[in-house]
Amino acid sequence: MNIKFEKIHDITLVLLNGELNMDNVSRVREAFKKVLKEKKSRVIVDFDKVPFVDSSGISLLLEIVQSFAKVNGRMCLCHVNKKIISVFEITKVHKLFNIFDSHEDALEFLK
Amino acid sequence: MSLNAIVDEKIPSRLHMVPAFVASVVKKLRDIQIDEDTLFDLKLCLHEAVVNAVKHGNKEKSDLTVHVLVKVSTKEITMEISDQGQGFDFNKIPNPTTEDNIGKLHGRGVYLILHSMDHVRFLNKGRTIKMVKALRQE
Repeated sequence: MNIKFEKIHDITLVLLNGELNMDNVSRVREAFKKVLKEKKSRVIVDFDKVPFVDSSGISLLLEIVQSFAKVNGRMCLCHVNKKIISVFEITKVHKLFNIFDSHEDALEFLK
Repeated sequence: MSLNAIVDEKIPSRLHMVPAFVASVVKKLRDIQIDEDTLFDLKLCLHEAVVNAVKHGNKEKSDLTVHVLVKVSTKEITMEISDQGQGFDFNKIPNPTTEDNIGKLHGRGVYLILHSMDHVRFLNKGRTIKMVKALRQE
């Protein structure tokens, strides 16, 4: 899993590259802890290069959403592939995530 | 309908070894030209079932193994994952989608399996899970 950070105005874009699975959740968790520590409370997570998510990946996303909520921050996802969306829908967690097709839509939501 | 076993292995109860093992099975499944959506479901369910067997079944005890059997026919894929633990009552698995449970950080693996495979059976007091996925016919 590669994790890159970019800035769009005062919003942090997190670009994940790799499977969000049991192997990688610790690394991704640490990256988001750093984001929260730096008081970056508005974040877009780009899933364009995430081909697969398992239940530990879902748990991590929930943990991150809950951490952002505690500091009145907001996190949203974009470019999520249709199979991952279907996994979110099966477990109904899509109701807890803000999911957008593009950076523009995500930015508009976070404004 | 003849079933051909492409995987018949006993693996150690080590969680960190699961992703690499699952990847090796997926590689074999890819060789028999399964569509990507079906492959995703098979990978997800195999991963969740093996993790459950290692973690909740065998409690990560180093002297216990998980047996994985994957059979292929022209119409379906069958995956059987067996642990050596105490078994469990599969009727008592909480529904992770209820209002009380949706925000919880664990407990989605079996639910994902039940909703991603075509047939799922628990055997041997819950020590074995048998999962069947129909293959798309061209």
